[in-house]
Amino acid sequence: MPKAIELKTFSYKYPDGTAALDNISLSIEPGQTVAMIGPNGAGKSTLLLAMAGFIKGTGEVFIDGLQINRQNTKKIRSLIGSCLEDPDDQLFMPTLFDDVAFGPLNMGLEPEQVKARVAEVLKTVGLINMADKAPHHLSAGQKRAAAIATVLSMSPKIITLDEPDGSLDPRHRNNLVKLLSELSQTLVITTANMDFAAAVAERVVLIDNGRIIADGPAEKIMSDAKLMVDHGLEVPSRFF
Amino acid sequence: MHHAHIDKFAYQDSPVHRLDSRVKFIVALVFTALVISLPATSLSILACYAVAPFAFLVLGKIPIKFALKHILVVSPFVLVLALSCPLYDKTPFTMAFGPFTWESSTGWMRCFTILGKFIVTMLALIALVSTTRFNDLLAGLQKMGLPKLLTIQLGFLYRYIFILIDKAHHILRARAGRKLKNLGAKTELKTAAAMLGSLLIRSLETAERINIAMQARGFTRKWRTISMLRIRSSDLVFAIASAAFLLGLHFFIRPILL
Repeated sequence: MPKAIELKTFSYKYPDGTAALDNISLSIEPGQTVAMIGPNGAGKSTLLLAMAGFIKGTGEVFIDGLQINRQNTKKIRSLIGSCLEDPDDQLFMPTLFDDVAFGPLNMGLEPEQVKARVAEVLKTVGLINMADKAPHHLSAGQKRAAAIATVLSMSPKIITLDEPDGSLDPRHRNNLVKLLSELSQTLVITTANMDFAAAVAERVVLIDNGRIIADGPAEKIMSDAKLMVDHGLEVPSRFF
Repeated sequence: MHHAHIDKFAYQDSPVHRLDSRVKFIVALVFTALVISLPATSLSILACYAVAPFAFLVLGKIPIKFALKHILVVSPFVLVLALSCPLYDKTPFTMAFGPFTWESSTGWMRCFTILGKFIVTMLALIALVSTTRFNDLLAGLQKMGLPKLLTIQLGFLYRYIFILIDKAHHILRARAGRKLKNLGAKTELKTAAAMLGSLLIRSLETAERINIAMQARGFTRKWRTISMLRIRSSDLVFAIASAAFLLGLHFFIRPILL
């Protein structure tokens, strides 16, 4: 069975020459939930962009055994769904229905299939009664759930979420943890909130200065107080 | 931040909300053209025309205060134009409104007609926008032949204008928090330019991220949407009733009152 995501010695530099990712080798098994943790500017979001083929560096990236290149772009897009950090960037259509239908329509599904899929996904994220709403009429928590729905509607095997807990209050964060724990896809989540990472992920990859510092079971990595503090992080309360 | 959206009542449910956007748009367009083409001495007939948008607002459960507030917001431009009429046209004129007559000037007559037409057409526009979701209006316009590129642009404009306004407010607040004295015109201009530059860069960054979000969902420069618009019997009834009202006013009531 191919790995869900595999990066082989991947490096990337920003246009100004600053190294963003340095020699990253990483593989993620299908169905795993992995949290990418690290301080601000560590390269977490850039790594997610590399996984979805939005940036090109040196080295190789494989998604479900398929190498990211120009020929495979369309197939890769249907395998991996990317949820951006700011839901306002993710929700660009006039209504929630249109936004969730955007991906399936681009996949070439028939309108009736699209409608059924949109209804199913909105029910999953608890927004079935909001389909006609404009995104600017949704609350922060609803926008986050809606952003996830836009990706789920494409039935990807892998979902990447960039800081999905950002600007959420504890109640909405708990709802998000519940929603993510119910998903069967491979999840790669970046976050700077250690309690959130501990709540959702079974595996943690610590990144700093564009390099992988540690990779392993969440409890093992995140309960190492010295490691966490050395990289500007903290031990989540459940591992005290 | 919550904005006073002009379409904030468009998400309600009422018989007029459920009408097809294309029918409402065409009726509003014909209504506006007829009101604008009324002669300058037609205050009484204008009052008859005003019944239609008022009825539409009432049926749509749109507070009249909301409509009047929005008319006030855009009124200064028209007020300047209307109030300048009595200054340059002082020809004596006997004004009549129903059974009442009084002596005035042609300038005042024009002034009241301009204001009357403005209020009635604005009421029609507000009635349309307040009972029609913006995306339905865009979908309707697209079905009627408006170029797709233009409707996409309008859709993006509507989606992101409020976010841009929010960002501008945040920048202004940050400036106000640190501006402790009058900086002088030169520095103020420099600051304003920097603020505009910051907004432009943020907009470009947002556009870049939206492009990524679109590509991530398989966008290949071909815009695909599902249209939910459907002409039903209630739309036909509304179209016939509107036509009867407008034709009745134009051919029967207008000759009596003018």
